Amino acid sequence: MTPSAVRRFLIYNPEHTFEPFPMSLDLPQLLQPVDDLSAFAAKRAGELAQALPAAQRSLHNAAGVDRQALNVKIAAAGAGWRGARPTDEPLDATFPPPAHPPELHVFGADGSQVYADRHAAAYYYLVNIGGLHLHHGSGEPPRAFTRPSIYFRDEDLLTASGGAVDETLVKTRRDVAEMQALAEVAAAAAGSPGLALLDNGLILWQASQEHHAPRPEVRELLRAYLRAMAAVQAQAVALAGFINRPRNANLLALLALAEIPDEQVSPESARRLPAPGLTDRALMRQHLAEGQRSARFVPVSPLNTVFADEGQEVQAFYLKTADDVARVEIPTWVGEDPKTLAQVHAGVIEQCRVTGIPYVLVRAHELAVVRPPDRQALDQLVAAALTRHGLLPEISQKSRTKRWTASRRRHVVG
Amino acid sequence: MPPRQPIGRVTRCSIQGFDGGIRLMHPDRPAFGGLCKAAAQQGASDVIGLIYDINIQDDELARQLAAAESPAAELRADQQFVRPIPIEIRALTVGFSVDGRFEQRLPPQPPITLAEIYPLEPDEVLQFTERLDFLPLVLAAPQLPVDHLLAACLRQAALARPESARRMFLIDAGRACARLLAGDLARLNQLVTDLGQP
Repeated sequence: MTPSAVRRFLIYNPEHTFEPFPMSLDLPQLLQPVDDLSAFAAKRAGELAQALPAAQRSLHNAAGVDRQALNVKIAAAGAGWRGARPTDEPLDATFPPPAHPPELHVFGADGSQVYADRHAAAYYYLVNIGGLHLHHGSGEPPRAFTRPSIYFRDEDLLTASGGAVDETLVKTRRDVAEMQALAEVAAAAAGSPGLALLDNGLILWQASQEHHAPRPEVRELLRAYLRAMAAVQAQAVALAGFINRPRNANLLALLALAEIPDEQVSPESARRLPAPGLTDRALMRQHLAEGQRSARFVPVSPLNTVFADEGQEVQAFYLKTADDVARVEIPTWVGEDPKTLAQVHAGVIEQCRVTGIPYVLVRAHELAVVRPPDRQALDQLVAAALTRHGLLPEISQKSRTKRWTASRRRHVVG
Repeated sequence: MPPRQPIGRVTRCSIQGFDGGIRLMHPDRPAFGGLCKAAAQQGASDVIGLIYDINIQDDELARQLAAAESPAAELRADQQFVRPIPIEIRALTVGFSVDGRFEQRLPPQPPITLAEIYPLEPDEVLQFTERLDFLPLVLAAPQLPVDHLLAACLRQAALARPESARRMFLIDAGRACARLLAGDLARLNQLVTDLGQP
């Protein structure tokens, strides 16, 4: 079908012949780019399939290299290198799922946010944390919780430099609140085996982006985050971050580095990866059998050094669930304690059994997400409260015009 | 005496009936054929409903768990008792009450949105069913399993009475139904058989 024919097809609708543009997105303009995208994806898939056997050989080769020698190469790769540092486990080792403890307290937390909107009736932002405490083996219904917080004071909305709080700061505050919620609810394990799961990696992303010169707010949030991690540790509850469909290539970077002759290792040479687009996940899909985990490794980054200084260095491993390969991040105090590590491995596999990703995280997301109707209800609540306090709730003209056009009828293609 | 617990809140309503959303079901309520009430006219009256349907909706997660080989007991309990899966009850209006007096006809106004729905307590069921003038309202309801609904309602009304009075109530109720269904002996026979079920 030619683009013009498609366009006629889209526009033709006998019931709405007076609507000149049935859809906002002009799909015909995208037909060729979408075709190019698909061709590129197919070509890339072929290249990656060809690169995988070599990557697997590299994995076994690197496993035979002395760990100390690898660490020397890592040091030579420079501060910008973002690979993996090996731990006491051989790089190509695989570990079958351990037996699940008869009882395990599993906690999951996830968060969402509503950004401040200068066109709304009031200027505020919201962070909502949802979570679930499931006592596996008890047969009892889990306990769900939500923790909504609204931020509207000057100190919430303005940074130390006087700028407006941006979206990344709001997200960081959400990440910190997730960890704090886990630390709070983990007390319910009361000394019994427990596993606290976060729907994310454990390294605070925003802080990692600003590691050279973090803003005071980011520094404070990082401190709060590390305190919350320590609070989970104090409850003797295992902590893990679960990453679905990871796109990292820390291991591949290490494998490439291992193959560079010692005298040629430099920040430039260490930057080269075996194949563009190849990920650790693709390698581990071949390497791991269902239920197995990979060897633990330490993702190398300046921020992880900060975490290490606070006793919260992050390690990671890959785990093949029934559906896919996930990346699981754990603090070193979990990774180096075989019993706690086994709890994470067995617990995550069991949690993924029905839903593909941990059930507590599926439910935590459901509890945390602020859907458009929730947002509308909140706006109405705010408007009513403003009125009670003698203020006239006014949205901006821009917001009003968006509402006018948002209700325009849209057609389904086909 | 513990405070009465609502069994839901009104979501949709009309003169002829109302629907309510509930979060949890208890072992005995709400029940098919049970009588319930919801406030109307700004609390001046209560509309009396007869529950004719209890509908549990599903979603992708519930379907996924249903298809799983053996979901853990805690996951099933989560779906059954914690996760707010919409449970909907539907009631047919069979009367209303004002100042403690029951009327067995359609009310002047339906209940208001989010009015709490309470089951009628046994003494209220007894009082409401002292007369059976609401039977035509039930029999006239289109596309409902009205015979089974009536039988379930009358059996529950019998249970609200002292044991010695139950049999006589059911005989009187059967006679009232016979007058209304005299032209349809097959239906009447089925209804009377249902009334005799425990």
